[in-house]
Amino acid sequence: MNKIFFICFCIIIGISIRSNSQSIVTTVHNMSVSGPGTIKATTESEICIFCHTPHNSRPDHPLWNRNDPGSTYVLYNSSTTQATMGQPDGSAVLCLSCHDGTIALGNVLSRTTNITFASGITTMPAGKSNLTTDLANDHPVSFVYNSALASADGELKDPSTLTGAVKLENSKMQCTSCHDPHKNLYTDFLVANSLNSELCLNCHQTTYWTTSTHKTSTKTWNGTAPDPWPHTPATFTNVAQNACENCHNPHSAATKPRLMNFTPEENNCLDCHNANVAAKNIQAQFAKTYKHNIYGYTGVHDPMEANWAITKHVECEDCHNPHATNATTAVAPFVNGFNAGVKGINQSGNPVNQALYEYEICYRCHSGNPWSPAAVTPRVIVQNNTRLEFAPGNPSFHSVAAVGVNTSVPSLIAPWTITSRIYCSDCHASDGASSPAGSHGSIYPRILKLQYSTANNTTESAAAYALCYSCHSRTSILNDISFKEHKKHIQGEKTPCNACHDPHGISSSQGNSINNSNLINFWTGINTPSPGNGAIRFEDQGLYRGRCFLTCHGEDHDGWNYP
Amino acid sequence: MKRFNLFFTMFVALLFAQVGFSQTMVGTSHDFSGDTWNATGEICIVCHTPHNAITSVAEAPLWNHQVTAVTNYALYASSTTNATIGQPDASSKLCLSCHDGTVAMENFGATNNGTHFMTGPSLVGTSLANDHPVSFTYDAALATTDGGLWDPATHPSGIPGSGGTIATDMLIGGKMQCASCHDVHNSGGVTSLLLKSNAVSALCLTCHKK
Repeated sequence: MNKIFFICFCIIIGISIRSNSQSIVTTVHNMSVSGPGTIKATTESEICIFCHTPHNSRPDHPLWNRNDPGSTYVLYNSSTTQATMGQPDGSAVLCLSCHDGTIALGNVLSRTTNITFASGITTMPAGKSNLTTDLANDHPVSFVYNSALASADGELKDPSTLTGAVKLENSKMQCTSCHDPHKNLYTDFLVANSLNSELCLNCHQTTYWTTSTHKTSTKTWNGTAPDPWPHTPATFTNVAQNACENCHNPHSAATKPRLMNFTPEENNCLDCHNANVAAKNIQAQFAKTYKHNIYGYTGVHDPMEANWAITKHVECEDCHNPHATNATTAVAPFVNGFNAGVKGINQSGNPVNQALYEYEICYRCHSGNPWSPAAVTPRVIVQNNTRLEFAPGNPSFHSVAAVGVNTSVPSLIAPWTITSRIYCSDCHASDGASSPAGSHGSIYPRILKLQYSTANNTTESAAAYALCYSCHSRTSILNDISFKEHKKHIQGEKTPCNACHDPHGISSSQGNSINNSNLINFWTGINTPSPGNGAIRFEDQGLYRGRCFLTCHGEDHDGWNYP
Repeated sequence: MKRFNLFFTMFVALLFAQVGFSQTMVGTSHDFSGDTWNATGEICIVCHTPHNAITSVAEAPLWNHQVTAVTNYALYASSTTNATIGQPDASSKLCLSCHDGTVAMENFGATNNGTHFMTGPSLVGTSLANDHPVSFTYDAALATTDGGLWDPATHPSGIPGSGGTIATDMLIGGKMQCASCHDVHNSGGVTSLLLKSNAVSALCLTCHKK
C-alpha cells in the first residue's frame, strides 16, 4: 500500500514539476480547455492547434494554422524615428491574426468550424492584448534594423550586437524580437527581463541615459494617485526598476509619437514630480499665477524643433532632458544636472546641442523670438531680446553671461562679489524658501523668486524689494554707500528700483557707458523728459557720481548733480 | 482500504486491457478492401506483397505499390529551423506514393495505369513546404542547437504500453519520418492514424519542448 502511495506521489510530483517548468502549457497562450487563462476553448484539448498545423499550413512556416487578417494598419510615426515603416509582415502578421482583434480566435485552418470559446468570446476582447489595427501607439515592427539605421539614428546599437535574447527576423524587428509566444519567463511573454528596462536596452542606447537619475533613482511611489507605473509589474517599485517605462509604454501608448505613458506631455513628468515619487513638488509650482505654462500647449513641442523656438510653447522638455537629467550640481553659469543634455542658443545667437550655460536654455525662447511679448516696463531704451540685454560688451548688465562691468558694488552681500556670476534662475524661480529650484511658477509676476515691487509710490521695506535686497544689502543701499541719493529716492520719494534700473542690462547697440552705466535705463511711465531741454538721460560722472535730465514726481531734474 | 485496493486493481487492469486489446486496420481509412478501384477486395495488397517485393526504396517492407518518381518536392524551410531537411526518403517516400497525388492508388502489383488519385485533406501534394518536415535527422545535437526540442535519446515517447524513448519508438534510422507521427496500421486506434493521441497536443509536445 505504501508503495502505491509512493508511486502516486511520484506521479503527482512529476506532473507538477512538468507544469511548473517553462512551458506554453502553463501560459495564457494555451487556449485549450486546459489553459490557465480566461480566454480559452470550451472543449478543444489541443494546444498547438490555435496557431500550428502539421499539414496544409498557411503561410508555410511556421506551419501556420490561421488566416492572414489582411488588415491595413495605421503605422507608428514620429519625428525622431529614422526607420522606414511598412505594413506588418513576417511573423508580425501571424501574431496580429489574433492580436488585431479582427479574426475569431477559434478560426483555424485545420478545423472546418471555429473552435468555440468560453463566455462566448470570438475575437480578442478589448484590452491590452488587442492592439487593434491602429499600431501607431505600439512599438513599430517589420522595419529593417541594420547598421545604416543604427548610425542614422545614433541612439540604437548596431544590430550585430544582438547576440542575446533579442533576435531579428530577416534583419527586421518583429513582434518576436521582444516576445516569445511559447515562453513566459518574465511577463507578457518577453524574451528578456523588463526590470531596469533590460529588454529595451538590448537595442536602445539612449544618449546620456547611463548617467541619468531616471536610470538610477531608487525613489518609490507613496501610493497616492495617479499610479506613475500603470503598466509595469507590481514588483517594479522604484524609478530605476521602471526605467524607460517610467515614461514610455511599448503598446497602446497614450501619446503616439515616442509612445508616452500619458497625455498631454507634462503628465509624463508630473505623475512623479508631484511629491508622490520625487521629493519635491514641481506640480505645485504650476498651480501658481505666474508660471511657464506647460498646461497651455499640447502637441506643439517636438524634440526635433529648432533650438530657437519658432512657435510659442513651453513644455518640461524645453528645459529638461529626461534621458540626461542627473543630480550633478554646478555653479553659475554652468547648467546643473537637472538641465543636462538640453539644447540652447548661445550668447552669439547660434544653436548649441547641449547647453553649457543655463542662460543658453532661456535664450531658446527669450531672444527676440517672433512671438516675444512687448517689454513689461516701457523704458527709454526698448529691447525685447534678452540675449542682447546680457551681452558682455554692454555698458552694464547683470552678470549672467559674463562678469559685470562695474568694479565697485559695495552693496553686494557675501559671498557675492563683483566677479560673481549669476543664473537667470537666481531671480526667476519659484517663490518659497523650500520650493524646488528653477523658474517653474511663482506668486510674483515674471516668475520672480522674491517680491520685486514696481509700482510707483511703493513704501520701501525689506519685503517690498526682497529680490534686490537678497544680494544688495538694504543697509548699504539706504546708507547711500554708492549712489548718494538712494535713500532719498527709495524711501523718501517712494520710487521703486525699477524706475531707474533696467535689471537685465542695456544693449551696446542702443546704449553707452556714459548714459547707461549702473543698469540705468529710465522707466518712461514715471520719468518724463526735462521740460528745460527735453532730455531724459543719465550722465555718468565717475564713481558713484552723475547727473540726471528728466522729470520725476513733478521735479524737473534739469541736470541735477549727484556728487 | 480494501475497497480502494479493489478499485485500484480494476483501474490498472482496465488500463492494461485498453492497451492490450490490439486495434485493427479493418474499417480505417487505410482499409481499401471495399473501394471500387481495388478489384482484389484485399486490404494488405495495396501496399504489401509476400513475394517479389519492390526493393528500390531502402527498408521498404515487402512493398507492392508503385513508388512515386518525384524527386523535387518543395521542402519546408524556416528561419527558426535548425534541421537539415532533404528530399523525402525511406518510408516517407512510400507514404508519398499515394499521398503526393502523382501515383494512382490502384497502381500496385502489376497495375501501373490507374486513374484513382488521392484527393481531399489526405492529399499532401508535391509541395511539402506547408507540411511538417520529414526525413531529417533528429538527434541530441539538433535538440541542443534548436533549444526547443527534447533530446530524442532520453525523452520518453509516452506511447501507451511502451517505455521507450522518442528515438526508439518514433524515429526510424534516427530520422523523423511520416511514421514518427502516424501509425498506418492503426495499432493504437487513435484518430487520424496517429501514433498516440494528440489530446492536449500530447503528440506535438512529445518532441517539442514548448
